[in-house]
This record gives sequence, C-alpha cells and structure tokens, in this order.
Amino acid sequence: MSGERTVAYPAGDTLVSEGVIAPARAGRPAPARAGAAGEPLVVVEGLRVQFTRGGRKVNAVNGLSYRLEPGTMMAIIGESGSGKSVSSRALMGLLPPTAKISGSIRFDGRELIGLPEKDMRELRGGDIAMVFQDPARSLNPTMKIGAQITEAVRLHSDLDKRGAHARAVELLKLVRLPAAERRFHEYPHQLSGGMRQRVMIAIALAGEPRLLIADEATTALDVTTQAQIMELLVELQQRLGMAVIMISHDLGLAASYAQHVVVMYAGRAVEQAPTQTLFANVRMPYTHALLGAIPALDREPHSLFDVTPGQPPDLSALPKGCPFRPRCQYATDTCLQAPPLTEHEPEHLWACWHPVGAGAGHNSANGEQR
Amino acid sequence: MTATATTPRVPVSRDPRVSRLTRVTGSPVLRLIVKRLLMAVPIMLGVTILTFWVLSLIPGNAAEQLLGAEATPEDVALLERQLGLDQPGVVRYLEWLQGAVTGDLGNSIVSRQPVSDVLADRLPVTGELVLLAFLISLVLAIPVALLAAHKPGGIMDRISMVVSTLGLSVANYVLALILVLVFAVTLGWLPAIGYVPLEDGLWANLEAMILPSAAIGFPLFCFYTRFLRGDLVDQMQQEEYVTTARAKGVGSWSVLIKHAFRNSSFGLITVVGLNLGALIGGTVIIEQIFALPGIGQMLLQAINTRDFVVVQAAVVIFALVAVVANLVVDLLYAVLDPRIRYGSR
Repeated sequence: MSGERTVAYPAGDTLVSEGVIAPARAGRPAPARAGAAGEPLVVVEGLRVQFTRGGRKVNAVNGLSYRLEPGTMMAIIGESGSGKSVSSRALMGLLPPTAKISGSIRFDGRELIGLPEKDMRELRGGDIAMVFQDPARSLNPTMKIGAQITEAVRLHSDLDKRGAHARAVELLKLVRLPAAERRFHEYPHQLSGGMRQRVMIAIALAGEPRLLIADEATTALDVTTQAQIMELLVELQQRLGMAVIMISHDLGLAASYAQHVVVMYAGRAVEQAPTQTLFANVRMPYTHALLGAIPALDREPHSLFDVTPGQPPDLSALPKGCPFRPRCQYATDTCLQAPPLTEHEPEHLWACWHPVGAGAGHNSANGEQR
Repeated sequence: MTATATTPRVPVSRDPRVSRLTRVTGSPVLRLIVKRLLMAVPIMLGVTILTFWVLSLIPGNAAEQLLGAEATPEDVALLERQLGLDQPGVVRYLEWLQGAVTGDLGNSIVSRQPVSDVLADRLPVTGELVLLAFLISLVLAIPVALLAAHKPGGIMDRISMVVSTLGLSVANYVLALILVLVFAVTLGWLPAIGYVPLEDGLWANLEAMILPSAAIGFPLFCFYTRFLRGDLVDQMQQEEYVTTARAKGVGSWSVLIKHAFRNSSFGLITVVGLNLGALIGGTVIIEQIFALPGIGQMLLQAINTRDFVVVQAAVVIFALVAVVANLVVDLLYAVLDPRIRYGSR
C-alpha cells in the first residue's frame, strides 16, 4: 500500500486529456439546454420543512418560494438557522426521513417532493449536485480521491472502469487540480483545503449537473483560496451552462458573484432581486440591518455598529405575523399579519409592510396587500 | 496554505553504501514491531513474577499435592529437596527464568514431561476454540449490525437489540450449560463434552467444537453487534462524507457498506484486539465445562497441583497473545487507515 505511493507516476497527463476519451464532455462549450428556454429550472413554492426534536416541532423552513433560471447563479443569504441549508437539502432529497416536507419543489417541471427514492437517487449527483462546506469532512478519509470521483462517474454514466478513470482525471484537470494524475491516487488528508474543495467540485461535476448547489462551499477556506474557488465556480458555471445556487452568510461574496440574491430569515424568503437592484435599493428592514452590520473602511473610527437587537426567533415558537417583527424598528400592529413575498417593483420581491426607502415615510400596509 | 503547492517526493535511497540491513531496520513498520516486542519483555517479567508470588501465597506445594494427605513430613521434605522446592522462592524463580530465556520452559514438576511438549498438545485446542469463537461472532455480527444500522429503530434493529442485550446479560458458563442442555441432551445433535483431534476428521472435530465456541462466541457476537451498529449509525448520521456519498447518488446500502463500514471497521478492530486477551482467559471455564484439553484446563490443573512451572508457561502464553494481539491491531490500522503511517512523525 505504502509502496505504491512512492512509485513515480508516468507523465501520462497528456495521454488522456487529448482525444481518446470523452473529450466532448469536459471540454464542451456551454450548451443552451434545449427545452429550458424561458422556463425556470427550479421553482420552489411554499416549501415547509418541520423537524420534531425532543417532542418540540421545529419549523426550519416556513413557506419558502423562489425561482431559478437555467444557467444563472443565485445566492441564498441568511444567518445560521435561517433555513438556507435545510431548504437546499430538501431540494436534494437529503433530509432525514423524520423531516416533514410540504409545499412544492419543481425541477425542470418535475415535482421533487414525494418523488420515489429511486428516481431521486438518479437526480442526485446527476442533474443536481452539491458541494459542501467543510471539504476536510466531506470526503471519505479512507478512500483515494480517484475512487471517490470514479464512484460518482460510474453512477451516472455507463463508462467502464478505465473510461471512468480517464473521465475522473479529466474532471480533476477541469477543476485545475495540479498534478491530477498523481493526486488521483492520493488520500484526502494529503491535500490542502483548497485542493480538497476542488476534488469536491470534480465529484459534483461527474454527473454533468444542470444545477450545482454550493452550500457554504468557501466558508471553511482562507480568503485567497476562497476567491480561487469562487472564480472556478463562476468559470465552470459559464462554461458548462449550469445553474448554481450559492448558499452563504456572506453578503459581500453574494454581491460579487451572484446574479440573483434571495435573503432568508426564519425559514422564509424576505427579499429577492437581481443583485444590482437589491444592493442599490434595499427594501426589507432585515436586509438593511444585515448591510449595516458590514464593517467599512470609511467608517468613523470607534463608532458603534447598528447592531440589530435581539436574536433570530426560536423556530419552534415563531412569533405571530412577520418573523422579524420583534426586532424591527419599523414594526407596527399591521406586522402581526405575515406580509407575503410580493413583486413590488420589477423583479424585486420583498415581504414587508414597511419597506425601507420605498416612497416617503412608511407605506400604509393596506396599499400593498393583495 | 496555497492550493497549488505540491509536496516534493523523497526519492528512495539507491546509495550502495547504505546496506540492505539499515534499509530494512529503517522500515517504520519493522521498528514498531521491534519496539513492541521489546516492550513485551518487562511485561513478561512482571507477569511471571506476579504469578510466582501469588502461587507462593497459596498454602501447600507440589510435593504435598503429589504425596497426598497421608504423607509423613519426612517424605514431603525429601521430595521437596528432590524437586528443588526447598530452595528460596527467588532462587527458584531465577532458575526458571534462566531456562525460559533460553527457550527451555522446564519440565512439569508433577508429570516430569517437558512443558514445551504439553503446550504443543494443548495450544492447538485453545487456538481452535478462540479462532472459531471469533469467526462465529464476527461472521454473524457484521451482517446483523449492517442490517440494524440500515434502518435505526426498524424491526431488524429492535430484534438485534433484544437479542444482544439478552446475550450480554448471560454469563458464558450459564450459556454453555443451556447450550449443552438444548443441543446435546434434549436434541442430541452434538456431543456434550470431549475433544476430537483434527486428524480424526474435520467434521468430527467441528462437532465437538461447535458448542464450546458458540458459548464463547455468542456473547462476543452480541457485543460486536451492539458496538458496530452504534458506530455505523453515528457515521451515517453525523459524518459529512456520508452526505457527500448520498449526494453523489450512491444507494443507501452502498453508502453503508462501502463508506460507513470502512470507517467503522477501525473501532471494531480495536475492540476485537482488546478482547482477545480477555477472551483467552475466558477459555479456562469453557474448557473445563466441555472437557477440552486446552491451555485453560492445563492451567487449572497446574494450579491445583501447585505445578508452578506449568502455570508460568500458561501465563507467558496468555501475556504473549495479548501483546501480539495489540501489535496486530496497530499494524492493521496502518493497512486500513491511510491517515496512519508509522514512523512518519
């Protein structure tokens, strides 16, 4: 075992990449996916996820809705416990069987909630793939990285062992892992954090996904590596024509890379817009508060941040009406009724009776209500 | 930490001046083995001294046991002198030790047979017993634990829980008697006692060994099942690599067997290795019940006749097995877990 690792691998890198095996796959230009034109790739409507923990019902996701166009990058932003991870795991069918899921998740027109496990398994790692937060824990420590990629390749193609090997090396090159041929035979602990995350991305790409979910995929990495991985994701997204859902708590990261942003709070979307629009005209007081908490260089030294008082609500005992109400400085009695997520301005949706900066003062709620 | 850095590969020395010997002793695995075997020396010394001392605290000696209750004190004293039992304990121990380090474990005080001959007869019996017990327990425990862990709280999980709790709460000698009652006395399928050597036919030999090895193996099976099931469930529910595997589209059985079990096997191996030391001690009772001529039975007889030479031999064997078992476990880690490479500091 150990002897094998001291063998110098032949410089066979070029052998596989040119010609012979499936060059069309990795090197293909971004295909305009047929049949997807105009149709959203993902439509989530009224998604609810409830766990029972110690006899208490925890509402992790409370009526989340969003749409994702094919080939675009969308960021889902929120703090811990806002339901961003849980909702994407619901999309992947990765939640434990104890989770109660309701609402609707349509992928390419197909309803995923209640889909038989067998069909779901084909989608997982196939059309929908996921990259996780901590690459140190997300790879199997006892398997060579090559085997972990090959496993994914073979599940979603009919390549034989040698074909899968070649394809795996190709994927490693696609994610720019240096010395791909050699790394193929190494174990995760022999790689750096950034390299491991590249391997995770290679695994995710094995099934040629149409949707890639990056769940805090750069959070565990240092800043330089973080930027490299984000650049890689953007490049791959454009080259392979995938849609990407990027889950993050980092507004700055979302602003730099995503075309669309969904802001989540207490298990629901509270604001959604194209990135430019959102950051130019923040409406929802929660998003506003989040932006106010970002340190800026031009800030007065030793000045206090506008820290939002209070804590996110207990998910097993949500407040009546708007979940942000107890912490919101604009809250009125109107907020005891939950505001719906409505498209108030073109492409700009928010769920609030008293949006920031929309018109003079604060709108009377009734004007907006449907 | 840069993502692009590659670790330079240290070339294997081809320098002819480096002798073959240094290259071999330079092997980290070999170093580990040598280190452990050297560590075994103080362990052996400690164990044998302790045994010798404890044995000397029991009233009576081999001479008295040999001559029986009617012997005159003169006769006993004479035999004591002949057997060398009149010497002080330290001298006797050192004499025994002198022989032992040169590989001569001495002759039995009682039967005058060389101890090495006795061991040659008895070791295979105990060895087979232990081996079969492990085989039975592991061959059953692994699939049962996998079935139970596949659906925690499911029907298989519950059944295995009940059975293993039951098995863990019954002492192996009680179980032995129940097994004899059911399979030998009532059903008459298997012999109740006795040993048939392998030379007399594999089946006849196995027939005699099934009940004793089951008596030892069943509680082990219960323990391993519980242990492995727990570890597997932990892996499945808490480890992110399991989520990755599922996200790849790997089926639930494959995730369990290919991914989780591999990682759970380290824990199982540790437990099995640690068990081996305790288990070989446990054979003493079982060999007695089933009249198997193994080391355990030999030990018990030797203690009764105060035959300290034989007792020492048995103790040395038991201690050696424990040391070697631990060593094998550590070596197995290196084979199974790529993160462990001995000597890489």
